[in-house]
Amino acid sequence: MDINITPMLDIVFIMLIFFIVTTSFVKEPGIDPKRPVAETSAAKPRGNILIGIDIAGNIWMNNRRIELNQIRQLVEDAVNENPESSAVLISDEQSPTGVLIDIMDQVRAGGVINIAISAIPEST
Amino acid sequence: MRRRHRRAEEAEINITPMLDIVFIMLIFFIVTTSFIKEFGVDMSRPSNEPPKTEKLSEVIFVKIDDAGQITIKNRLTDIRAVRANIESGLALKPDASVVIAASRQSDAGLLVRVVDQARVAGAGQVSLVALAQD
Repeated sequence: MDINITPMLDIVFIMLIFFIVTTSFVKEPGIDPKRPVAETSAAKPRGNILIGIDIAGNIWMNNRRIELNQIRQLVEDAVNENPESSAVLISDEQSPTGVLIDIMDQVRAGGVINIAISAIPEST
Repeated sequence: MRRRHRRAEEAEINITPMLDIVFIMLIFFIVTTSFIKEFGVDMSRPSNEPPKTEKLSEVIFVKIDDAGQITIKNRLTDIRAVRANIESGLALKPDASVVIAASRQSDAGLLVRVVDQARVAGAGQVSLVALAQD
């Protein structure tokens, strides 16, 4: 009479655990700059700290514009949430390098060593 | 009489509420999961400690100035020649690390291209320093 739902439950639980484990809440920077193209660009699956830099050198994080001295606190918070965090700087092709260097220093001061600069992989 | 009644009742736990919750959690995680698909090139920033002097000879120094001109070994270089220059530098000093000194006003895109070319040339460690301002 009854349908046996045990196998379905097994699958549902496995899916649930999979999604719980893989979910990392990414905070989008809020801008989508024109990224440079690079041949050696590789996927950064652990990069959950995304920092955007626009052409004028403004810094964006968590969908809002922030100042340079706020980065360290935000990075520290992200590290507390997930100690394996790594940072990806999403910079426009024409952003000034000085801002990029300042941000890298702040991110390092916040405790994240792995820093990458976002680039589109060259499709050959 | 009473005993038989109890035995008939004991049999099953009602798992429906638990199932409801599990399904809701499942749907929540399916919806909120965003697989990060960010691509990038790794970049390291030297620490503030003073560099070891004996290591300075083991460095290939690439300079990017305000106007976006690239200088390697005091010679003005085109972006397309960066790779060849670094390759020849690495052939002489295989353990050398590449240091890119970029002006604060130069474009980040150019920097990424130089780092990319250095990587293609086989440089293991590429670090970035800011060019001292005059």
